[in-house]
Amino acid sequence: MRLGLRELRRRPGRFAAATVTLTLLSVLVMFLGGLLDGLIASATGALRAQDGDVIVYSDTARANLARSDVDPQTRATVESTEGVRTVGGLGFVQLGARQAEAPPREITPVVLYGYELAPAGVPDAPEAGAVYAQRVLESDGVDVGMTLLLGPARVPVTVVDFVDDLEYSGQATLWAEPGTWREVLGANQPDTAIADGDFQALVVQTDEGSDPAAVAAAIDDATGGATASFTLEAAIEEIPGVREQRSTFNQIISVTVAIAGVVVALFFALLTIQRLALYGVLKALGARTRTLFLGVLTQAVAVTLVASAGAAAITLAVERAIPAGGVPLEVTVDRLATSTALLLVAAVIGCVFSLRRLQRVDPATAIGGSP
Amino acid sequence: MPLRRRSAERMHPNRRSSPKSEKTVGTAPSGLAGTRAGCGVDSGGRRWEQRWGRSGKRPCTRERPVAVASPRTPEDERGVDTAIWFLTFAELRRAKLRFAMLTAAVALLMFLILFQQALQAGLITGFVGAIRNQSAPVLVYSVDGQRVFQASVIDEELEQLVRDAPEVDGVGRLSQTTVTVTAADELVDASIIGYERGDLGAPTTLVEGRLAETTGEAVAGIEDASSGFAIGDTVVVEPGGTTLTIVGLSRDAQLNVTATLFVGYDTFTETLAAQSAGGGVPPPNLLGVIPADGVRNDEAVAALNALDDRLEALTREDAADGTPGVDQVRQSFAVIFTLFAFVVPLVAGLFFLITTIQKTTTLTVLRAIGVGRARLVGALLIQVVVVTVAGVLVGTALFVPVVVADATSLALRFEVRTIATWAALVVALAVVSALIPARRIMAIDPNAATGRAGIEP
Repeated sequence: MRLGLRELRRRPGRFAAATVTLTLLSVLVMFLGGLLDGLIASATGALRAQDGDVIVYSDTARANLARSDVDPQTRATVESTEGVRTVGGLGFVQLGARQAEAPPREITPVVLYGYELAPAGVPDAPEAGAVYAQRVLESDGVDVGMTLLLGPARVPVTVVDFVDDLEYSGQATLWAEPGTWREVLGANQPDTAIADGDFQALVVQTDEGSDPAAVAAAIDDATGGATASFTLEAAIEEIPGVREQRSTFNQIISVTVAIAGVVVALFFALLTIQRLALYGVLKALGARTRTLFLGVLTQAVAVTLVASAGAAAITLAVERAIPAGGVPLEVTVDRLATSTALLLVAAVIGCVFSLRRLQRVDPATAIGGSP
Repeated sequence: MPLRRRSAERMHPNRRSSPKSEKTVGTAPSGLAGTRAGCGVDSGGRRWEQRWGRSGKRPCTRERPVAVASPRTPEDERGVDTAIWFLTFAELRRAKLRFAMLTAAVALLMFLILFQQALQAGLITGFVGAIRNQSAPVLVYSVDGQRVFQASVIDEELEQLVRDAPEVDGVGRLSQTTVTVTAADELVDASIIGYERGDLGAPTTLVEGRLAETTGEAVAGIEDASSGFAIGDTVVVEPGGTTLTIVGLSRDAQLNVTATLFVGYDTFTETLAAQSAGGGVPPPNLLGVIPADGVRNDEAVAALNALDDRLEALTREDAADGTPGVDQVRQSFAVIFTLFAFVVPLVAGLFFLITTIQKTTTLTVLRAIGVGRARLVGALLIQVVVVTVAGVLVGTALFVPVVVADATSLALRFEVRTIATWAALVVALAVVSALIPARRIMAIDPNAATGRAGIEP
């Protein structure tokens, strides 16, 4: 192992090409992972933040907030279901926001939520006409105290504070009390099917110790199938596109990791062939195959770690360089660590290809015998 | 035979009479003291000579042996070519595992590139195919709609402004809604697009059946035909219970990656009315426009945009490309493809560089017996092309089942032109990557064979 590390220190140039190639592959793995996380986060942020255990939609909405409509009678049934502690309504509308002084064609896409139970990171509902704005809007010039005109009807709302990480479908969000949401919705989409008193979904907090999945099933039973209820985790997975994005990206990442494994295998197989004579001498001196393989393994792990560190730095730099609203890249420590672990596994598996050749090294070659 | 011996003799006419390599320079044969014992090349490429009975080295003054090579006959040249071809392919045969691993790496890269290329095309078509492949050449949105079909609302005043514009010949209403439908006894998401005039909003890629002619008829996408949207199938819109009968199938005309149904405007408004109790008929989301005679599409767009700050007219192509999300998809894939464009040559270059370094002694001997640089570089390029082409073919073969199995919710296509472009690019990048090992071959000094290759000390 020490021999392997010493070679790495003394002749780093020998490993440069493999390190650069692995770095690029690692960037690909981390970038794809970051892209997946960014897409999922931007699609699910607002739902993930909900302070509830179960989300209730109308039965035909297919877990799509925009198509759901839960009326007050259904809400009353949900509230009386065993295991339900608190119920809060959630409403939503997508529209354009204008700053009062901005040119008429300058619009920022936003999603306005009306809520009763404050999501994580959002204070209790503000007074009528006021909204909490997602901090990303700062880059569009939005500031606390500013008035935004919402939709073609230009309903004015005032930003009272910023909140973080609550994107919906890649769009910035605004958070208001239900009355403000209803006013904006009614003024801008008068033909909408959402009647007074309706919400698009219900956020349910369950009794302590109860199973959210069982409560979700009990709610659907109690409403006679008029609702489709999901635990929060299931509701996030049910958001259209989330499952498909995750499986597609994971397949791509897997193949990229496999390529990294092949590259490591290729590189160390070639390096082993180059060093057969040296290994012959080492074996003649008493070194075992295991010792030699450990050296190769150490080098593969070291090269992969260096490549992963470089790739992490590059990926983070790319994330910083991307302007807001561009590629939805979200690089997290978890993702970087997972990617590095995957690459290390691929590198170790790749190294196994060299083991067979190491086993066949004949110490006799060291004293001039035929290999 | 004779090829190797003959070449060696021609290249080194003095070599046979040279002193044996095992003699030391310290014990001069009789009468040779002080005469040249031999030339060598050190690790820095400098040529040195040593003389019998003397210690130390001095710069070699003897002419390079290659300079005295005699011209070869065409028969010799053919012989050398045959030998090099033989060696090139013999190496591919003998080091199967090594070359198979590189082929596997190139194959996986090619597969990933093709898969992601198809994914990008499928995703964009799934997002905005219905806009790109409908008949209206110009589409008018409300500015507040931010180029999102369903979010745009054209009120009566704006509609009248467009209808009265002199640059406009025809105007038709277009609306869209996203609903849940029961198809083949399953609840699925669907987009319904209603159009007022057949020449302004109907799908242009009809591949089977006909367009909707009466209330309750719809054209679906052929991609969804097997999911309960085939001709003759009926789907039920939930809630509301409106039944739509599929009478035609179009290709690449999806919206928001959902099953998309094109219906007449009456069917659309009836479907909406059935969904919302007491809800009236909403204003259209878009207006499709045919420019007046002699007015180009872009001129009509400019004229309509000048009418009112609340209007945003776009050509069909700009409307499709400008839909939110499309640019993000393109940018994300551009970064990924750029990374692949670096990875392909790096993997191939790394492999051939290492193998070239490993073969340096052999290559030096080949150079010393008269094989030209061009031939050795040619042999390298042959190996690069053979391995890369094999990788490309395997990668393409891996991609076929993914398309056939319809493994994703997107319509992935096996597009020969795209595959040919990427195949050519991958092979070209691999050949470019061979420049580094080729440079190393070019730098090989045949005289090194007299030193490190063991012919002469």
